Amino acid sequence: MDCEAIRDDMLDVLYGEGGEAAARRLEAHQATCGECRREMAELRRLRADLSHWRLPEPLLARPAAPARSRRLPLALAAAAILILASTAGLGLAGAEVRYDQSGLSVRLGRGTDARALADLERRHREELAALRAELAAVRPPDDRQLLRTVADMIRESESRQDEARLASLRVLQQRAETQRQYDLARMSAGLSYLDGKAGLQAARTTELVGHLLQASQQK
Amino acid sequence: MTPTDEDLVVAFQSGDIPAFDQLVRRWDRKIQGVIYRLVGNHDEARDLSQEAFLKAYRALGTFKKEARFSSWLYQIAINATRDRLRRRRRRTDLSLDDVEEKGESSLRDGAPSALDLIESSDLSRVVDAAMAALPEEQREVVILKEYQGLTFPEIAETLDVPLSTVKTRLYRGLGQLRIRLERQGIRGGAAVPVPSA
Repeated sequence: MDCEAIRDDMLDVLYGEGGEAAARRLEAHQATCGECRREMAELRRLRADLSHWRLPEPLLARPAAPARSRRLPLALAAAAILILASTAGLGLAGAEVRYDQSGLSVRLGRGTDARALADLERRHREELAALRAELAAVRPPDDRQLLRTVADMIRESESRQDEARLASLRVLQQRAETQRQYDLARMSAGLSYLDGKAGLQAARTTELVGHLLQASQQK
Repeated sequence: MTPTDEDLVVAFQSGDIPAFDQLVRRWDRKIQGVIYRLVGNHDEARDLSQEAFLKAYRALGTFKKEARFSSWLYQIAINATRDRLRRRRRRTDLSLDDVEEKGESSLRDGAPSALDLIESSDLSRVVDAAMAALPEEQREVVILKEYQGLTFPEIAETLDVPLSTVKTRLYRGLGQLRIRLERQGIRGGAAVPVPSA
């Protein structure tokens, strides 16, 4: 079996698909063909090199869930910023803010009034609950509405393009017309000039013929 | 017992819409992975993956049982990717200077310059660049085989080409990759003859 013919078996064995028959055929061929033996070894090394091609972290770490981007309403985003700002302030003041499975908890440094701490925690819980409620109310945009909006945008864009094309055509038409009139004027002037020259020549010829006739009659 | 893809398809076709969610969860990362390796851009991969699943959702009602769901889904994803790459090339063609200076690989995430490649010891980036330089049809087969682990018949079904074509493209692609990796100083011998593209 020649080297070309053994190539299929080589790929099958390389990827573990050929079964014993392909492996035996390849082995028999390689026993007498050093070139194919080396090629197989190189292909195995190449596969090892190729295995170093990594996917970026987001694709490796991201949980496999259908993603759908949601945009928070402006007021909701502002509320979130306020909460973040207040918790950041607490952090700077030596407080500890924790949010885990049991919910939100805040611990302030030593000497802080326990009642103030409880009030703060309660307020944050309420804000968080309100935030959750608003988040739950957020719905992704209606697909049909979105499609209609996109279709409208496309129509508007096409309409604008049509108008631009028409305007360009009008400009071109005007330029062509101006050029045509200019060319006609030049041709007309040229013809007039030629007419004038021809007329003069004819008058001179006529005059000359008249003189010749007079001269011949006088003789 | 975990339902097979085909079970979930049948469930979806019988009106169990959440069955599609399971299919998405099962295949999302794989599909994004293959698209990323083809386009080299994470945002674009995510975008194209969503597009592919949307198309799959719309067409799943007419999916034929004799086909493999995975091959069918890969086919949708690869076709969407081909369309995107074609549009990208048309856009790139508008700026000839840019193409001459940077080539298609400039559109990939963090595409390394020639100098980066020489200085970089990051084999992943070298392989990425070598892969980006492959002709599209060879790149598809190498990625489906090497990184997605599809069998030769599955690749043939996915790309709708004969088995022999799959193997020819793979062999040529591997040959090209060897040459390119060698140029970057990556180990490898010269035993494989230079294939014609």
